[in-house]
Amino acid sequence: MDNLARAYLPRIAGLALASVSFLAVTAAEAKEITIWCWDPNFNVAIMKEAGARYTKTHPDVTFNVVDFAKTDVEQKLQTGLASGTADALPDIVLIEDYGAQKYLQSFPGAFAALSGTVDYSGFAPYKVDVMTVDGQVYGMPFDSGVTGLYYRKDYLEQAGFKPEDMQNLTWDRFIEIGQQVEEKTGKKMMGLDPNDAGLVRIIMQSAGQWYFDKDGKANVTGNPALKAALETVGKIMSANIYKPAAGWSDWVGTFTSGDVAAVVTGVWITGTVKAQPDQAGKWGVAPIPALSIDGATHASNLGGSSWYVLESSAEKAEAIDFLNEIYAKDIDFYQKILQDRGAVGSLLAARGGAAYEAADPFFGGEKVWQNFSDWLAKVPSVNYGIFTNEADTAVTAQLPALTQGTPVDDVLKAIDAEVSAQIQ
Amino acid sequence: MVHARRGSIGRYYDINGWLFVAPVLGLIGLFMIYPIVWSLWMSFQSGRGMMMKFAGFANIVRLWNDPVFIKALTNTMTYFVVQVPIMILLALILASILNNPRLVGRGLFRTAIFLPCVTSLVAYSVLFKGMFAPDGVVNSTLQAIGIISTPIPWLTNPFWAKVLVIIAITWRWTGYNMIFYLAALQNIDRSIYEVARIDGVPAWARFTHITIPLLKPVILFTTVISTIGTVQLFDEVYNLTEGRGGPSNATLTLSLYIYNLTFRFMPNFGYAATVSYVIVVLVALLAFFQFFAARERDK
Repeated sequence: MDNLARAYLPRIAGLALASVSFLAVTAAEAKEITIWCWDPNFNVAIMKEAGARYTKTHPDVTFNVVDFAKTDVEQKLQTGLASGTADALPDIVLIEDYGAQKYLQSFPGAFAALSGTVDYSGFAPYKVDVMTVDGQVYGMPFDSGVTGLYYRKDYLEQAGFKPEDMQNLTWDRFIEIGQQVEEKTGKKMMGLDPNDAGLVRIIMQSAGQWYFDKDGKANVTGNPALKAALETVGKIMSANIYKPAAGWSDWVGTFTSGDVAAVVTGVWITGTVKAQPDQAGKWGVAPIPALSIDGATHASNLGGSSWYVLESSAEKAEAIDFLNEIYAKDIDFYQKILQDRGAVGSLLAARGGAAYEAADPFFGGEKVWQNFSDWLAKVPSVNYGIFTNEADTAVTAQLPALTQGTPVDDVLKAIDAEVSAQIQ
Repeated sequence: MVHARRGSIGRYYDINGWLFVAPVLGLIGLFMIYPIVWSLWMSFQSGRGMMMKFAGFANIVRLWNDPVFIKALTNTMTYFVVQVPIMILLALILASILNNPRLVGRGLFRTAIFLPCVTSLVAYSVLFKGMFAPDGVVNSTLQAIGIISTPIPWLTNPFWAKVLVIIAITWRWTGYNMIFYLAALQNIDRSIYEVARIDGVPAWARFTHITIPLLKPVILFTTVISTIGTVQLFDEVYNLTEGRGGPSNATLTLSLYIYNLTFRFMPNFGYAATVSYVIVVLVALLAFFQFFAARERDK
């Protein structure tokens, strides 16, 4: 027995050594890229599609797309960056455009600069601007939040309106229509979350203004677009043409349940609207209503986000190459995510493809993508600055006062006071 | 021999004793003293994210001019002033009812009332959100029995949102306080109540003149614990309002404001540390006043 063991020992040892080194070699070659993002119907699904495409040509790279709620992604990212422990962070993270400058400026060196690798001239300039600090560009521009007015053709028809009546509305006309819709059908015109200033942002940007001016200084009391936006939201509230919603999922529920006749929001909601197959053919899309002030347009933007590579990532080179290969070059990829998810990318070259020409049966055969693409070109460019969250909170804090009849100028003063106290 | 003669002072020089407590002291130092000292130092700094600079008393000055901070402080104090007395009184009443040995099924009731405080915070907040939705079970019940004609906007109206938070924390923590009172009530001699009953003292008077005075130390304890809990209130508001403290900042608490300053807004760790020291001072002062008010006046 003793002899037998002695005879086999070297072989066993050799086999063990061989398998260990085999594993080590595979481990060294296989790279896993961890990605944090939110929204399983949109960003997560799109990133999985992008990963699958890259893995086809680079079988050694695998992807781990982690789905969190948006606030959780932001919180985990901010905690990880602040703690300085890179282990806790992913390789690629999704950041909403409003917050991009905040992260880039308050955590210098945390994100990898992609200028030099990525050809940014192919992207919509406003997307590149929000990720530029001191001439360096960080991040890979992703989706646009170009806005539209989604409306239920069936409800509006019952109230006596045709799709033509929904084109090029003013906000006052929109409210009139809303009142008639409620009279005739008993349905509210829209869902509104009084804790979310999204609608104010949409209306304000459609007239080319933001909470901050081009230099990043607060632009509140002397901002005609913000004033008009607040007046409009005030009118919507006092006309009571909205169904109140508490939080995002509640708000989504207002239109997925068929309780409201219209939704004014970013194009990324298309996937959610289309997730209700029983409502196929009942929806139409029109440009958003415009204000009656100088610089007013029917085009605006809500949200939109981009991908960022962490400087500390062990797979930094692969992550950058992946984003560059798929998001900056793969036109076919953009066609697919547009058709499947309603993602309007900001790579300009992707806007000419067949998918943009296609008529969508869900929207009764309208060429909605062509429309969104036209509106995208008309979105007024503004400087989101670094304090949009703070200003947003100040606006939502004052919305109830607005409905209780406080004059808009007083509301603006209160917002200004809160914003000035917060931005230091 | 030598050790024995050193006396009590000598113990300080005994290296073995220090070795025994060293691991614990190290951990306390690392996980308690260091963060406390460091956060105090941080509260004198200001800046964006990692770009912190020494700012002296700038953060304390900023507190006075910050309408959101004032709002959060007012809300927190409103919760404290309204909710803690309601909860303490409710817990006392429930405890004395459930202490009655002749009550059928009191074990079941005790468990039922205690259960909320062992449920998951997130689960119950989500449940509350659903129950108090415009077309949720609470509104439809109230409408069905004719108390209200239009649904109460629990989550979208500043006043009702505050009421909802108070209902939620009362539901969750009353049973917790009740358990303390039940335990204390078991220690009161039954004969005291029997004597009172024979003397014809009515139930309410027995409660106010016997139960409450005898429970005074426990009431003080639960009040201090509840004060600390309420002043640090975070989870309920965060989960009920999706982290916003809305509508109109009406439910924003100091803890949620600290969270916003750290994770939602431009991160300013220094200012957030200053606000958290406001909570420390507030809790210390309130606890001090409560001990002061409950001190033994008679010799």
